[in-house]
Amino acid sequence: MATQQEITAALADFRDRCNENARLRKMQRDWTKVLHLIAEDNDSRHTMTVVGGETRKVEEGLVGTPDIIVTTGSETLCDMFWGDLNPAQKYLSGELKLKASQEDVMRLDAINLIIWPD
Amino acid sequence: MTDDPATIKAQALADYGAYSNPMKLRTLRHAGLEIIEGRREGALTWDVTGKEYIDCITSAGSMNVGRRNPEVIAALKDALDRYDIGVFLLGSGPKAALARKLAEITPGNLKLTMFGVGGGEANDFAIKLARGSTLRTEIVTTVNCYHGHTGLALSGIGRDAYRRPFDPLVPGFKLVPFNDLAAAAAAIGESTAAIMVEPIQGEGGIHVGTDDYLRGLRRLCDERGALLIFDEVQTGWCRTGRMFASEYSGVVPDIMTLAKSMGGGIYPISATVFTEELGEFLITNPFIHLSTFGGSDLGCIVALKAIEIMERERLWEAALARGAQFRAGFDQLLVRHGEILKEHRGRGLMMGLQFTSSSHGPRMAQQLAHNGVMAMYTGNEPSVMRLMPSLVISKAQVETVLQALDRSMQTIKEQDAGTAVVVDAAPAATRRRRPERV
Repeated sequence: MATQQEITAALADFRDRCNENARLRKMQRDWTKVLHLIAEDNDSRHTMTVVGGETRKVEEGLVGTPDIIVTTGSETLCDMFWGDLNPAQKYLSGELKLKASQEDVMRLDAINLIIWPD
Repeated sequence: MTDDPATIKAQALADYGAYSNPMKLRTLRHAGLEIIEGRREGALTWDVTGKEYIDCITSAGSMNVGRRNPEVIAALKDALDRYDIGVFLLGSGPKAALARKLAEITPGNLKLTMFGVGGGEANDFAIKLARGSTLRTEIVTTVNCYHGHTGLALSGIGRDAYRRPFDPLVPGFKLVPFNDLAAAAAAIGESTAAIMVEPIQGEGGIHVGTDDYLRGLRRLCDERGALLIFDEVQTGWCRTGRMFASEYSGVVPDIMTLAKSMGGGIYPISATVFTEELGEFLITNPFIHLSTFGGSDLGCIVALKAIEIMERERLWEAALARGAQFRAGFDQLLVRHGEILKEHRGRGLMMGLQFTSSSHGPRMAQQLAHNGVMAMYTGNEPSVMRLMPSLVISKAQVETVLQALDRSMQTIKEQDAGTAVVVDAAPAATRRRRPERV
């Protein structure tokens, strides 16, 4: 089981990689979303705020009204944001649950493609 | 050059990703549809590597007469000895024969045809005709509808994500909930040129327009001087158990749009069929809609052959019989898998399975592909699996699809319960690692 701090570190790394990626920033410039990230096997809760394609904030706890809710195990969350695993696999096996519009699911996968190409 | 199927497939996928649409390829991969088609025949298709699939996608109902129908192919081959696309400005024998045939088989007083290449173009012209004929501007469409990605049709599409990147689109479109007559009544007014609906919403999740709803729309349009447009692009050509789905209600629209299986799965062609009264607009505007490839001579010949097959084989009866077989199987699946399968909808062989979660669409597509069935969730509603096999699907093939559905739902339930053996894809070489794992 990953700790809250480990997930925070993974998210911070993910934020930096997204923000440093000019191609991704340009591609997602019309994307403004609040994501809630929930680990179902411990009390870890995070909020990620994306404004115009820039990941502005990653904070512990659930803040604001989410557009997207990601629920999965803490290890999966941690591995996913470090890039150790492809979240699509977990989504398709039912281990990762998303409450989001179809378009936002596609955007998340696009981020995955750009940050960690196949 | 190689003749190794695996190499051919890998190269095709790599080139498609590199030179066409990488994200589409990725989405297909997730859905288990990383398929490069080789042989295609009847209700079946084969990956170039030899894996066989029952095709329940059929390009959203474009292959009602079966894939690579030999009669359609023979007609096209024969036509190629004498014809090409033809000059679009001119009339031609094939154009005239097909227009006459369409007047014969479409309901009521639908008589004149404007040809096009695809469904979007057919709907674009329907909207042009409605506005031009009524001198009114407003077009009413329905939430989650799909009428194509071309300019006017896109403006009326019922999914915001398709429109938003291109705003501002053509003004004057109004969306109302489907199957809601009161909402339509509130929306259709003095400035309404037409209301455009699919008798069964396809991309929207296989929602059947009730007979009362369609009759109510006809009455509202008559009372208020608006036109009624039926988009039968997916529902037409025997798919639902009638030549055209709107026949169930007995309602005759002012304009009907047709495409997909009209081309026999071989050649692109579409038609906007309308009443003689609306044809007055073309008296003063004979060149108002031009389409180089629309109603090409080759396309018309193919369409005539496809229609001949549908009528001779009475494919609407096949759609009803096989559809009934599917529905009996769906009822059993509801009993076995009610935790994830909510309901089934549709008519004939235009079928939708409503699941409880939007993740079930992609997951079912993946599992079905694994089990030898090619199927996809609906574009505007991913919790619905759409099944639109060729109308020549056999009784045994229907049974195979039902068994594949059963196995796929069972796997998903086991995954959700944590009892399935999940094999993750190996991490790509470029992935990062958690620091302790580097």
